[in-house]
Amino acid sequence: MNNIKFNNRDPVYVQVVRHFKEQIATGMLEPGQEIPSRRELANKLKINPNTAQRAYKEMEEEGLIYTERNLPSRITKDEHVLGSVREELILQAVDSFVNSIRSINVPVDEVLYLVKEKYSAEDKN
Amino acid sequence: MIEVKDITKKFGRKEVLKGVSFTANKGEITCLIGINGVGKTTILNAIMALTPIHSGQILINGETIKKESFEKITFIPDAITMLPNMRISDAMEFMDDFYNSWNQKRATELLGFFKLKESDRISDLSKGNTAKVNLLLGLAMDVDYILMDEPFSGIDIFSREQIADVFTSHLIEDRGVIITTHEISDIEHLIDKVVLLDNGQVLKEFNAEAVREDEGKSVVDVMREVFKA
Repeated sequence: MNNIKFNNRDPVYVQVVRHFKEQIATGMLEPGQEIPSRRELANKLKINPNTAQRAYKEMEEEGLIYTERNLPSRITKDEHVLGSVREELILQAVDSFVNSIRSINVPVDEVLYLVKEKYSAEDKN
Repeated sequence: MIEVKDITKKFGRKEVLKGVSFTANKGEITCLIGINGVGKTTILNAIMALTPIHSGQILINGETIKKESFEKITFIPDAITMLPNMRISDAMEFMDDFYNSWNQKRATELLGFFKLKESDRISDLSKGNTAKVNLLLGLAMDVDYILMDEPFSGIDIFSREQIADVFTSHLIEDRGVIITTHEISDIEHLIDKVVLLDNGQVLKEFNAEAVREDEGKSVVDVMREVFKA
């Protein structure tokens, strides 16, 4: 778990959940992988233990993690949930991209062309 | 829960607390924020019955403070109260003799956490390390509530970080903490509840996550609104 650079205006638990989703989508956290206890997470991320608890509760409700009896919690193996995490992150990124590019009034074809150019240039690197 | 109910306090003719009310829960970090001289320390002293109040009531777990309460609650003042020529180990022994709630195991663990040597003399310690010893002596106690007066004041950034780390560690467990501070940017993510004080009054009491969630504001945003109004 890397350190997160928190912003001060979004709820910390929401930022923690987003961080977990990014880690899941990028494969840094694998299906079935054990995750830290709430206290370990609080200590690692330097956040309030109640906030860590809240983030875990949220992730449990969304089906991102599961807990069997008294064992440590794990990342879900449910492919449907895992797929939707990836989709959610992609859509969020596209949304924020579209929002910022739209404010500069660029035609969509030009945007798509530039995106493709940029992508292939980065693939070459 | 600690309940402070409409307390007032005068020093001579000067009214320093003008009907202060707030609550602090066990398992939460409550932060009293205000610029210096607004009565933060007086409030902590009042909770500990170190200074008499003129009206109002303070309840700890539903009861007014009595002798036994001091085994449930501890106060860490903003400066160490041990004699300078004592070694850290002497100070720890002193606490052990004085309080039933002293927990030697946790004290030893805190020594390691803060990277302190118990043979060091208090007079030889840096400001940051003196502050850590001061905190250690309070945190080691088996109490439900810990009151800390300006734990981050006047010390270097690394000591501040180390002290902040205590709040996220198992060393706090599910105890209730009340801290006073005038500088919160270091600890915005660590606190549960904020009580903004000015001129002997509570201007606002709120949960830090709730204000981010419901209003999209940081704790500092709210402070700006409230203190500049």
